[in-house]
Amino acid sequence: MSGEMILFVAFLLLIGGLSHIVPGLTRPDLFFAVTVAPEFRRTTGGQRILRRFRAIVWSSTLVAIAIQLLAGMPLAAGLILGGGFLWALVSSHGRALAYAVSPSPILEVDLAAPREGLPGGPMVAALPVLFLGGLGLWAGLHWDRLPRRFPVHWGLHGADRWVATTPATVAGFLALFAGMCLLSIGVAWGLLHWSRRISTSGEGAAAERGFRRRIVQLLIVTEYFLVLPAWFTVFQPSAAAVNVWGLALTAVIAAFTVSLLRGGQGGSRATVAAGPSGRPAPKGDRTPDACWKWGLLYVNPADPSILIEKRFGVGYTLNFGNRWTWVMLALVLVPVAAGLVLLR
Amino acid sequence: MTPLYNVYVQDTVMILRIDLQSSIPVYRQIVDGLRILLVNGEMKAGDQLPPVRRLALDLGVHFNTVAEAYRTLEREGWLEIGRRSGARVVSRAVPEYADPETGETFQRRLRELAAEMQARGFPRDRIARELRCLAESLERS
Repeated sequence: MSGEMILFVAFLLLIGGLSHIVPGLTRPDLFFAVTVAPEFRRTTGGQRILRRFRAIVWSSTLVAIAIQLLAGMPLAAGLILGGGFLWALVSSHGRALAYAVSPSPILEVDLAAPREGLPGGPMVAALPVLFLGGLGLWAGLHWDRLPRRFPVHWGLHGADRWVATTPATVAGFLALFAGMCLLSIGVAWGLLHWSRRISTSGEGAAAERGFRRRIVQLLIVTEYFLVLPAWFTVFQPSAAAVNVWGLALTAVIAAFTVSLLRGGQGGSRATVAAGPSGRPAPKGDRTPDACWKWGLLYVNPADPSILIEKRFGVGYTLNFGNRWTWVMLALVLVPVAAGLVLLR
Repeated sequence: MTPLYNVYVQDTVMILRIDLQSSIPVYRQIVDGLRILLVNGEMKAGDQLPPVRRLALDLGVHFNTVAEAYRTLEREGWLEIGRRSGARVVSRAVPEYADPETGETFQRRLRELAAEMQARGFPRDRIARELRCLAESLERS
């Protein structure tokens, strides 16, 4: 068995394992994206739904591994794993709906909640984009010092796709990375200013702030890592430097992911929900069940939020019912699409 | 924790509670909650209120709902709303009580409220206790 085959099988097992634990990471009063009583997941009905979900996930994982090992078809293996996961999720969501409870009509906000900002200030977030602009300027002024071709894709064995150095390809390459950096900044900004705070006070609110801060830090760190491939293109360092970059990026993303998974969605695993007034904390995540399509997509034109906590998994998703979501998506994705077109 | 009906204050936390099933409009609940904090001195001159967008996002209501609540309090003289600075509490001179109609309105509304609560099954002794509580807190302040 080749090294690549072992790596791919390990990847399939990792996805299967993550899918296994994901239902336990959501807020206690959400189960397969349905608002339920916090103790529901421990009841017989809840356990039955969970067991069925995991059985489908592991069956599709094993089938995917068998296809990869016997037929060497990674695309088919990936599709079976992904399809199995989606089927397990959508059918579990449908079964959980039978146990749905009404979300609390009570909403709470902390009027004195501390303001949150980008770590290190806006300049730290903007620096990679400015660096890319400076790199483009330098390349324009020192055109003769650029290599005749440069890599645009790296695989397990180093660079595996190259393009000729022309003003269009260099501009496209830099625009691609600038677009990805802007996407990171946009999401980080959106999490701080355009997403809803669910926990209002005490440990819950502090854990949720910490959760948001870690995601924003991950986005800013990723932005800095994104600048390096552009730098590599101009200055052509050794293959070892590129490998170190790849390993460091993987390690950073893995460390943040583990930290986020340990805390659960919104840091909710570390805390117990309790209302500040001594009354029970409001149930749910302040989004109506009816606005979640298959438990995955949030579409609510009446909700001013652009980013919203996912109901399944850890992190945030978009409110596709908000027209500003589409405007911002277009603003961020246009430079990325332009870069990809110029590099073809 | 200081219970102030639909607002709660403790240390650095100042919670505003909104009931979506209440017959009172959300903007009115925001106005009433904030006014309690302002009247009781929990919010003082110079204090900054959350931006309209932040409060609307956290409550999941339209920006105009919160903006209207802030404008109402601005008209009452509690807030100053700047385009860039947001909503800030300002010192407000309490008007001299010289209007007998205001007193009559207060008496009428209080009696109407007590009657409505009784009609909805709220025990008389609870109403009396709440009124005594309110009277004591007013005397203390």
